[in-house]
Amino acid sequence: MRMKRSRRVAVAASVALAVLGLAGCGSGGSSSGKTDITIWEGYTDVEGNAFHQLVNDFNSSQKKIHVSVLETNNDYALQKVLTAVRGGTPPDIAYLYGSWAPNVAKIPSVVDLSSVVNKPSVNWQDFYPGERAVTTVNGKVIGMPALVDNLAIVYNKSLFDKAGVAPPSPSWTWDNFRAAAKKLTDPATKQYGWSYAADASEDTVWRWEAMLWEAGGQILNPSNTKAAFNSPQGLQAMTMLHDMAVVDKSVYVDTTNSKYMDLFNSNKIGMLVTGPWDLSSIHVPYGVQIMPTFAGSSAGHQSISGPDNWVVFNNGDTQTKAAETFLTWLTAPAQVKTFSLATGDLPTRASVGNDPAVVDQMNKKLPGLKTFIENLKNVKQARPQVTSYPQISQALGNSIVGVLLGKMSPQQALSQSAAATNQALASQ
Amino acid sequence: MATATAAPPAPPRPGILRRASRSEHAVGWAFVSPAVLIIGIFGLLPILWSLLLSFQKSDLLTPQTPWVGLQNYKQIPGDATFRLAIEHTIIYTALFVPCTMVVGLVIAAALNRKVRGISIYRTAAYVTMAVSTINEALVFMWLFEPSFGVVNAGLQAVGIPQQQWLSDPNEALYVIVAMTVWGWTGFAVVIYLAALQGVPQDLQDAAAIDGAKRFTIFRTITFPLLSPATLFLAVWLSINALQLFDEVYLTTRGGPLYSTTVIVYYLYDQAFQQFNAGYAAALAYVLFMVIVVITFIQFRIGNRFVHYNR
Repeated sequence: MRMKRSRRVAVAASVALAVLGLAGCGSGGSSSGKTDITIWEGYTDVEGNAFHQLVNDFNSSQKKIHVSVLETNNDYALQKVLTAVRGGTPPDIAYLYGSWAPNVAKIPSVVDLSSVVNKPSVNWQDFYPGERAVTTVNGKVIGMPALVDNLAIVYNKSLFDKAGVAPPSPSWTWDNFRAAAKKLTDPATKQYGWSYAADASEDTVWRWEAMLWEAGGQILNPSNTKAAFNSPQGLQAMTMLHDMAVVDKSVYVDTTNSKYMDLFNSNKIGMLVTGPWDLSSIHVPYGVQIMPTFAGSSAGHQSISGPDNWVVFNNGDTQTKAAETFLTWLTAPAQVKTFSLATGDLPTRASVGNDPAVVDQMNKKLPGLKTFIENLKNVKQARPQVTSYPQISQALGNSIVGVLLGKMSPQQALSQSAAATNQALASQ
Repeated sequence: MATATAAPPAPPRPGILRRASRSEHAVGWAFVSPAVLIIGIFGLLPILWSLLLSFQKSDLLTPQTPWVGLQNYKQIPGDATFRLAIEHTIIYTALFVPCTMVVGLVIAAALNRKVRGISIYRTAAYVTMAVSTINEALVFMWLFEPSFGVVNAGLQAVGIPQQQWLSDPNEALYVIVAMTVWGWTGFAVVIYLAALQGVPQDLQDAAAIDGAKRFTIFRTITFPLLSPATLFLAVWLSINALQLFDEVYLTTRGGPLYSTTVIVYYLYDQAFQQFNAGYAAALAYVLFMVIVVITFIQFRIGNRFVHYNR
């Protein structure tokens, strides 16, 4: 808010530059005899270097195509892409979050990649089912898998030792998890057993969705027309949060979703349920274990993945063909392997993830990655591909935060968000 | 003005005068045209476009934006979350504006003297304006952290129990008030300090000779003469308060449980998270009208008590 005026000018100036820049390179085409394509992505640091290396490799191997990279912030990628689409100069390829997929599919210039992924050389079935689910909206393939992840328990080894609690095991139930969190909690030293990301965003919601699936519940009914989470299974998952956060007070409720890692590194939090991206930020001895199960539920171990997509925009046939060629190359097993080894990002292809040599090498670099890679097989379901998912996510997010803060009962939270979900689905 | 005063005593032939004034106009336009162009393209056009958008159903994704007339506006009164957002915006503005002005005035008065190293103190007071909002937000999130924050540690030392601050729906908005008052104090200090230095010393001396005490002088001489600055700050801070966004976005994202959802955050959420751009544009125009009305009222009230020292 402050410095608004000067900031506005700065924004205007950078927009002007961007427009000029795009006009310069966007539709460049074939001045050098090559087809120029532009890719927007948000990799930084290690990932950024590895990605640039891959692009350079591709460019030097190519006589007909040249790929230029424009760095964007992934969080704002959709806003930027929408602006560019409106201006008639979309990128040829953009990295877009999977949770946007149903809405991205509504953009007319998004290219249907069905014919590409059906080529035998692509070996589409080699991508994990969760990734394929997120690329596909109403039968249209709107992208190629860019990233895959999942959630597991990451725990502080020394806190478990100090409290004399046995570390998480694959046979753990949520009751074991709860009991351990309680023992790890000490109000005197302000130590908590677990931390929950509670900013009511999708980051809050998908963690609970994994629990819902483990309890045997579903997010929506099979025809995606009504909420299905307001069920005994949903209540079981929601009650677990309530019992831990409100009854045991063993949960650090991170309402700004910005402090859990610092506190984990300061030995104040025993367990996180998080993804592989957090491992490189941990400076204390840690272990990784798959998520617990609900006793009596037949759903067993599950997890959730938030895969992201490379989306192609139509800038004419030549550009589209070039973009497809590049993406096919980028997502081929050899490149997936190179990128995963360099960055520690989970392999997007099962053939790479099942390669013991790759897994061992990755695990040596960043301990725990092996568990995360193996945990991909526990990603058995995907979030529903409906355009009103943002509204559903917001309703659920606020309900979960309400329960964690003790402001709503689990049943009240479910009823309220189910009503909002049904309304959003009806007006879709 | 310049042409009027510079007019020669014997009026020249009208043609020349007209030509001269026309070329002066042309030069004037040439000077302002870059600014006009940039403001026009990046300021006025989007404003007009969003007015059109407010009469359309648009998700920003599909090119079809059917004209829906006043439907977006009719939807507003029944929107419970928007009512909450208005409530939070009013509470925020009612606290933020006076607090910032009082704190700013007190500090400015303290800085309005000749002592060794005063420029260092003045710089220190202004430094809050130089800190970027994101740094400010990060620092305040840790200061007001419930378990480990300095503020709670201080309160506990004097026997006040641990508060949840940004995690408590009843307290989060007040933490944001504290944060933004801190951030804007430097601005209020600069405005008041400049105004204080324009208060004529002879008036204050005359009052002192008549036996007025320092507080009386401040109340009856200094403060009335500061009224143009006070009106400016009230208007400027109110407009900014009604447009609160950055601090909310950086800390609570409107939560917990919508407790810090203010109008601009809500319309951002509608446009870019929920893809209801047409509805968000209608909300923006409602806010615009509210700001126009409030500013008008402020000027009307202000004109009654503002003294221009001429």
